[in-house]
Amino acid sequence: MGPLRVVRHALPDRLFHWIGAACVLTLLATAFLPIAGVEFGWVTAHWVTGLVLMAAVLFHVVRVLVRGTLGSMWVGRGDIADAVEIAGSMLARKLPSRRPGKYSVAQKFIHHAFAIVVLATLITGGLMLARIDTPWWQRNPYLLPDATWGIVYVAHGLAALLLVTMIMMHIYFALRPEKLKFTRAMIRGWITRQEFDEHHDPKRWQVDR
Amino acid sequence: MELFRVSRDIYGREVLQGVSWDLLWVFFGLGCVLILGHALYRLILAPKQR
Repeated sequence: MGPLRVVRHALPDRLFHWIGAACVLTLLATAFLPIAGVEFGWVTAHWVTGLVLMAAVLFHVVRVLVRGTLGSMWVGRGDIADAVEIAGSMLARKLPSRRPGKYSVAQKFIHHAFAIVVLATLITGGLMLARIDTPWWQRNPYLLPDATWGIVYVAHGLAALLLVTMIMMHIYFALRPEKLKFTRAMIRGWITRQEFDEHHDPKRWQVDR
Repeated sequence: MELFRVSRDIYGREVLQGVSWDLLWVFFGLGCVLILGHALYRLILAPKQR
């Protein structure tokens, strides 16, 4: 019997999540509200928030690499077996018997989907910074040929649109009753020992070492 | 519904400007459909969680 609470997300990881969430919501608002007819000076707020998100993502990547925790998000053979069992259980209308480690296969896939889409917005947005005046440089719209800028804009816009769907899904799942323990863990950092015992495989998430 | 926004340059050639913002409602609608679909699945078909 271990302690009554199991730490799931350390404070720096929670700060990264919520700063990232605030940035993404601000970026979507400053991108789409003007399109919906709400007019305001959105450009400065958009690129400054983009830089904050870029810094947050860089912090997250460096922290993961330094701590060597990249493997906790790796989709391994156990996760594939989980996915196959979940699919079979859905068809058979029974509960899956396998318990995940720290993260379920669905949580890993949504993390990777967000990582790809957010990185796409950051890379394309970073290139688009060349087209605006900032305190550090003057705009240079000729950095890339027009056709290439078109592709950059399409990628940026498509990633932003994907984020709309993904954030809706993410918030929906975060608010579902059976997932509230994970939402609480992202706010306060911990799940209870009982939640750990019921929903996680202690061999795959070794918290008592 | 257009998929892309295009304009013309000074030579009259088409220049890609980005995805069409009409697609915003498609992606919003897709989110609603997925949420509703999952909620109905959990309500009607899925076995009760532990």
